[in-house]
Amino acid sequence: MHTASLRHDFPLFRHRPELAYLDNASTTQKPTAVVDAERFFYEHLNANVHRGAYGLAEKATAACEAVREKTRAFLNAPSARQIIFTSGTTASINLVAQSFAAERVKEGDAILVTAMEHHANLIPWQQVCLKNKARLLVAPISHEGVLDMTAFEKILRSESGKVKAVAISHVSNVLGTVNPISDVLALARKYSAVVLVDAAQSIATHSLDVQALDADFLVFSGHKMFGPTGTGILYGKEKWLDSMSPTVFGGGMIRDVAYEKTTFASTPQKFEAGTPNMAGIVGLGAALDWIENIERENIERHVQTLLAHATARLQSVPGLRIIGQAPKKSGIISFLLGDIHPHDLATFLDQRSICVRAGHHCAQPLMDFLEIPGTVRASFSIYNSKEEIDRLVAAIEDAQVFFGRLAIK
Amino acid sequence: MEDNLSLLYQDVILEHNRAPLFYEKRPDAQCVIEAYNPLCGDKFKLYIDIDGENIAAATFHGYGCAVSKASTSVLMRNIQGRALKQLPSLMDGFLKMVENGTEDQPADPEMATFLMAHRFPSRKKCAALSWQALKDWMTDR
Repeated sequence: MHTASLRHDFPLFRHRPELAYLDNASTTQKPTAVVDAERFFYEHLNANVHRGAYGLAEKATAACEAVREKTRAFLNAPSARQIIFTSGTTASINLVAQSFAAERVKEGDAILVTAMEHHANLIPWQQVCLKNKARLLVAPISHEGVLDMTAFEKILRSESGKVKAVAISHVSNVLGTVNPISDVLALARKYSAVVLVDAAQSIATHSLDVQALDADFLVFSGHKMFGPTGTGILYGKEKWLDSMSPTVFGGGMIRDVAYEKTTFASTPQKFEAGTPNMAGIVGLGAALDWIENIERENIERHVQTLLAHATARLQSVPGLRIIGQAPKKSGIISFLLGDIHPHDLATFLDQRSICVRAGHHCAQPLMDFLEIPGTVRASFSIYNSKEEIDRLVAAIEDAQVFFGRLAIK
Repeated sequence: MEDNLSLLYQDVILEHNRAPLFYEKRPDAQCVIEAYNPLCGDKFKLYIDIDGENIAAATFHGYGCAVSKASTSVLMRNIQGRALKQLPSLMDGFLKMVENGTEDQPADPEMATFLMAHRFPSRKKCAALSWQALKDWMTDR
């Protein structure tokens, strides 16, 4: 992969060539095609969706609907009406939690999550459980960061049908662990639990065929796959989506309104109240094209090369501890450096134009389980290079000297 | 470029981080104040005993970055035996210095080392953490 020429395709790197941007699990940078698509929408197509009976509005609507179809193809979903536009993964999960789960999970029932979930795939379920007097169960993981599948099945078996929903991330945003999502789905099906797959961290690197997986729900954000912020997707099985009630009400989602009552539009419009982020959706379409053009297999291969290089280099740094040692990992590597606080290290790295994330990564219960206050996290994408990782390692070694200078004296 | 870093991480700060003053857990103290930054998870407990109108004892314990730990250590040293009525102006002076980088030099030169935090917007909160918590506690009292 020619990362140098690819890097040139990202306006931010043209303006900030010095940056080693290693915070891709947080958000990726945007290629010119995506920035241009948003701009093109405003310059040539801007009108409201599904509203105007004029050519411009029809074109704007068609542009958005084309992205729905493109997303369908990207996920190999049976029908484009199973693709709901949201503002991101968080909104997608909340929609399923507040509509699907809130209506089905009764007192005494349970929702099962794993010990490695991002707050966005934890709190929405927790809140439904609290409201409905249901139980939130947590499938344990090992200290290496591997989901305990035996314990996972044991919970499903012992609950004998009480677990109504399972929510699991495909890839952990902290540990990089790639969960065996097909096995999880098969097990959940065996015990009649409906599964939501949080694909936020895998959508840019893993081919996800929702039919082959037989996923009930699959969600992701546009901004972690080179698309605009404020865009996201909820995919759901038709039988679930059609049975779900909307949770946000307003224009664009109705069939008939009177003061006494309202009947709602059908899927997907009933879930898309208000004017959507149309320019963002068009940008998301450009991101899908961009990924298809590069091919996800190539992105994944490149990221795996970087992960292997980073793991080998970081392991050789004395006092550095890698957090998350699952055999199958994505391009995310968390670590701690001696007793240097993650934020102090991140500030040091920032002075050398190296962007990493430091803190609890919206996964406080996971940090508690690992008995660590937080980590420094480097995460890779298609435009990163081994040289950037070498810069990171060199800076880490210098940081040890810098922060340890008093102890040496 | 590391000159900039040396302005933030001065020896004074690293020394307080390495060996903080008044660093002791005292769950039985009269007042236990939590200084917590939910964004990063840093959390200190400030253990304060009051004797009449003065601070009789102040210690702290917890987890945080070098900047927040050192600033809490310096805070503890500055409030030992202090009259409670002096605390608000002491807190305000420090917090203003960190926020705006004002040049009013505090009487304590160690307090002044945190002036540079204002150059690191994402780290101002670290320097201010325990000072703000104590100020809020004084206000609510």
